[in-house]
Amino acid sequence: MKILVCVKQVPESEAVVSIDKDAGWVDVHDTSVFRMNHFDECAVEAAVQIKEAFPGTTIHIISVGPERSEVVIRRAIGMGADHGTHMVTPGDGFVDPSTLAGWIASLSEASDADLILCGAMSEDLMQGQVGPLMAEYLSLPCATAVVQMTIMPVGEGVHVEREIEGGYREAVALQLPALLTIQTGINQPRYPSLSKLLRANKLKLNTLYVDAMEDSAPLQGVRRVTLPRKLREGVFLEGSASQKAEQLLTILSDRSFLTVL
Amino acid sequence: MKNMQTSGSIVVIAEHFEGEIRPITYELVHFAETLQQFSPAPIKILVLDERAETLAKSLARTTGKDVLGLRAPQLAQYNGQVYTSILHEILRDHPPLYVCIGHSSRGSDYAPGLAMRLKAACITGVSALSVQEDMICFSRDVYGGKINADMVSNTETTVLTVQPGSYGPAPDRDLPKGNVCLKSMTVSPQTSTTLSTTPFQTSDLDFSAARVIVSAGRGIGEEENLELIRDLASVIPQSVVCGSRPVIDLGWLTYDRQIGVTGATVTPDLYLACGISGAAQHVSGMKGSGFIVAINTDPMAAIFNLSDICIVEDLKTFIPVLLEALSNKR
Ligand SMILES: Cc1cc2nc3c(=O)[nH]c(=O)nc-3n(C[C@H](O)[C@H](O)[C@H](O)COP(=O)(O)OP(=O)(O)OC[C@H]3O[C@@H](n4cnc5c(N)ncnc54)[C@H](O)[C@@H]3O)c2cc1C
Ligand SMILES: Nc1ncnc2c1ncn2[C@@H]1O[C@H](COP(=O)(O)O)[C@@H](O)[C@H]1O
Repeated sequence: MKILVCVKQVPESEAVVSIDKDAGWVDVHDTSVFRMNHFDECAVEAAVQIKEAFPGTTIHIISVGPERSEVVIRRAIGMGADHGTHMVTPGDGFVDPSTLAGWIASLSEASDADLILCGAMSEDLMQGQVGPLMAEYLSLPCATAVVQMTIMPVGEGVHVEREIEGGYREAVALQLPALLTIQTGINQPRYPSLSKLLRANKLKLNTLYVDAMEDSAPLQGVRRVTLPRKLREGVFLEGSASQKAEQLLTILSDRSFLTVL
Repeated sequence: MKNMQTSGSIVVIAEHFEGEIRPITYELVHFAETLQQFSPAPIKILVLDERAETLAKSLARTTGKDVLGLRAPQLAQYNGQVYTSILHEILRDHPPLYVCIGHSSRGSDYAPGLAMRLKAACITGVSALSVQEDMICFSRDVYGGKINADMVSNTETTVLTVQPGSYGPAPDRDLPKGNVCLKSMTVSPQTSTTLSTTPFQTSDLDFSAARVIVSAGRGIGEEENLELIRDLASVIPQSVVCGSRPVIDLGWLTYDRQIGVTGATVTPDLYLACGISGAAQHVSGMKGSGFIVAINTDPMAAIFNLSDICIVEDLKTFIPVLLEALSNKR
C-alpha cells in the first residue's frame, strides 16, 4: 500500500504575529516558533500505524512551503515515513487552496497513492479545504474529520468514522484509492525516534520549486488583513501578578461568584 | 418550475438531522439576507432528503423563501458524494451567484468539492461581510482567530461556508410562505457509502446546575497542571472543570467535558478560560457565557476579544498566587 501524507508547517499558537501592510498578509516575527500542524501529526501517526500493521506499506510526505518547512518533512520521516517531497515556495504569502491542492495532486505520488491523508484543518489558514479539493482533482472518494479508521481486507477499501456534531459519529465505507482528512484525538502522535531522525536528516528529499506566477488565476484572494473586532469590553488587568489576583478577587466577589471576607 | 431556477440567485443549502432543521439553516438564511443587501438577488433554499416534502414545507413556512426539495433514496443518510453530485446537477446549468452552506462537519465535507465542480471559489468559515471599493469581502479567522482576513472571490459563482453562531437566526417577520417545489433525483453508484450515524458517547454531566465553568486549554502544558485548575474550581461554588479539545484528545479530561462545536455548548454565568487560545471551534461553545475571564500568556490571544476580563499571565504561577490571595482573605 502506498500512502501519501500532506503536512504543513505552521506557527505555534502563541507566536507573535502582526499585519504586514505592504505584503497584505500576516508576518510571523520569530522563525523559531514553527512546528508541524497538529492535525497533520495525527495523519502521519495514522499512516505509520498502517505501515506497522501492513508490512510493505510505504509512506511519502509532501509539504508545500518556504525553505524552513523542510524540517516538518524530516520530522515525519523520523516518525516512520519513508520519503518526502518539498515543494518550495518563495515566501509565506496566501496561496489559493485550489491552486495548492492542484500542485500536490499533480505529483505522481498523489496519483499513485492508495491512500492520501491530510489534516482536517491547517491551524494558520483554518480552511479545511486542501484535502477535499485534492480528492476532487483526483476523483477520489473523500471523508473528512476522521476519528477512527480500519483498512479492510484487500478489495474492501477502508472503513472510517467521521466526527459530527452533538457527540455523533458517521460510519463511511470508501473504496481505495481514497482521501481522508484526519481529526485530532484519533491517536497520540509518537515522537520521532533518534535513529530514524538521523536517517531523515541524511536523506535527500525531492525538491521542487514552485513559481508564484503559477498561481496566475487564483479563484480567491485576500483583500486585506485586520485585527479582529472586540466582542466584549476586555479590560486588561494591570500590575504585578498579585495585584492582578487582588483585582480579580474583587471583581469575582462583587459579582458574587466568590465570597471573600 | 421556472421560479425554482437558481440562475443568478443566492442559494442556501438547508442542514437537517434526524428530521429536524438545524439552527445553522436559519443562520444561513439570515446571512443570505445580509448578502442580499450588497448583492440584490432572490434567495432560494435547497433541501436534500430521502423524501424532502415535510422539511421543504416547513422551511417555506418558517422562512418565507422559495424552497426546492431534492429527493433520492440515497439521501436517507448524509453522504458527501451524493450531496455533491445532486447539487452539481441542479446548479451547473443555472449558476447561482452564491451557495451558502453551514461550516459544520457536513457542510465542510462537501462544500470544497462542490465548488470545484462548479468552477467556483470556496471561502470557508465566513463570519462577517463587508464591502470595500465595490467588492464584497468575506471575513474569516486565520491564525487561530488572532487575525481576520477579508477574502474576495474572482469567480462567477462563489461557495461560502458560514461559521455557526456568527449570524443569529433571521429576525421574525410575518412573511407569506414561500413556494415549494419537489424534484426526484437519480444518483449513480458511488465509491463511498455511509453505513450508519450513531451517538458515540452520552454523558450525564449536567451543566445546567453549573454556575461557573473553569476551563483548561493546551496552555496548561502538562496533565499535572490540571490540579491547579481543579484547585481553582474547588474554591468557586457551583463550578465544573471543562476543557478545550486538545485536553480531551490527550485523555486528560473525558469527552463530556469538551466545550466547543464538537463538544458541549454552555452558557454559565462565569467562564474562566485558562490557557485557551480562543479558536472559533471552541468559542462557538462558550461565547454565550455571562461573564468571561481569560488567563493567557499571549496578549494577542483571540480569547481576549470576547473576554470581559483579560489577564496576561502564566497560569502556572498566577493560579497559585490567586489561591494564596484568596486563602489570606478567608
Ligand atoms: C472540525 C473541528 C472541530 C473542532 N472542535 C473543537 C471543539 O469542540 N472544542 C475545541 O476546544 N476545539 C475544537 N477544535 C480545535 C480548535 O480549532 C483548536 O485547535 C482548539 O480549540 C485549540 O485549543 P487550545 O486553545 O486549548 O490550544 P492552543 O490553540 O494550542 O492554545 C493554547 C493557548 O495557551 C496559551 N498558553 C500557553 N502556555 C500558557 C501558560 N503557561 N499560561 C497561560 N496561557 C498559556 C497560549 O498562548 C495559547 O493561546 C476543532 C477543530 C476542528 C477542525
Ligand atoms: N502547504 C501545505 N503543504 C502540505 N499540505 C498542506 C498544505 N496546506 C494544507 N495542507 C494539507 O491540507 C490540510 C488542510 O489545510 P487547510 O485547507 O489549509 O485547512 C492540512 O492539514 C494539510 O494536511
